[in-house]
Amino acid sequence: MLKMFKKKGEQIFSPAEGTVMALADVPDPVFASGAVGAGFAVEPSEGSFRSPVDGELILVAKTLHAFAVRTDAGAEILVHIGMDTVKLKGQGFTGHRVKGDRVQKGDLIISCDLAQMSALVPSMVTPVLLTNGTAFAIAETEIGADNSAPVLTVRKK
Amino acid sequence: MAKQTVTVGSSVGLHARPAAVIATAAGAYDEEILLSIDGEDPVEATSALMIMTLGADFGMSVDVESENADAVAEIAALIAKDLDS
Repeated sequence: MLKMFKKKGEQIFSPAEGTVMALADVPDPVFASGAVGAGFAVEPSEGSFRSPVDGELILVAKTLHAFAVRTDAGAEILVHIGMDTVKLKGQGFTGHRVKGDRVQKGDLIISCDLAQMSALVPSMVTPVLLTNGTAFAIAETEIGADNSAPVLTVRKK
Repeated sequence: MAKQTVTVGSSVGLHARPAAVIATAAGAYDEEILLSIDGEDPVEATSALMIMTLGADFGMSVDVESENADAVAEIAALIAKDLDS
């Protein structure tokens, strides 16, 4: 039983409504190469960005273009909203939670007017990354997943 | 313990791209490399995410510490460069 429980791992969901895609298809070489972390991306169809997993909010960028959640097992999941959005310096983004908050999967963290933002940056494709890959591994990836199904399963190494 | 204080040279601050470059370089060393701002809790330079949690903007001072002086010199030089161009 214990072994089965261990094998289950933690499930990471898409942080936004939209099309889930492979990280390699992100239009930015730094993310596509996996240099920031392994994971997936979502082309959002709506501007609400939610926690992809239960855990603690360990990062909300001052510029509100990224946030990260540490799961109960310790995996660190970064959600980076769009490409070059750091240059907007927070313009257009609204933060709904703060660093240190306990969050549940699906809690609204950051929102924006997607159409308005899309005009300002090269892409709103949002990478979702496991950034502590030395301690955790991605066991499964479901790129075709619909928005209610988990995309990644992560497990402690 | 070697220590150096440098000014962030990346115009966007130490965010995704610069943080990834620094974390990759830090990962090449066996010794722990710590970054901190204003004496606050240091973070490990091998984690791009933890670097981002520093909130280091362009022009801010970052302390780099490690047992390995070469590591301090390399990471300090990267922080001082504009890694987002």
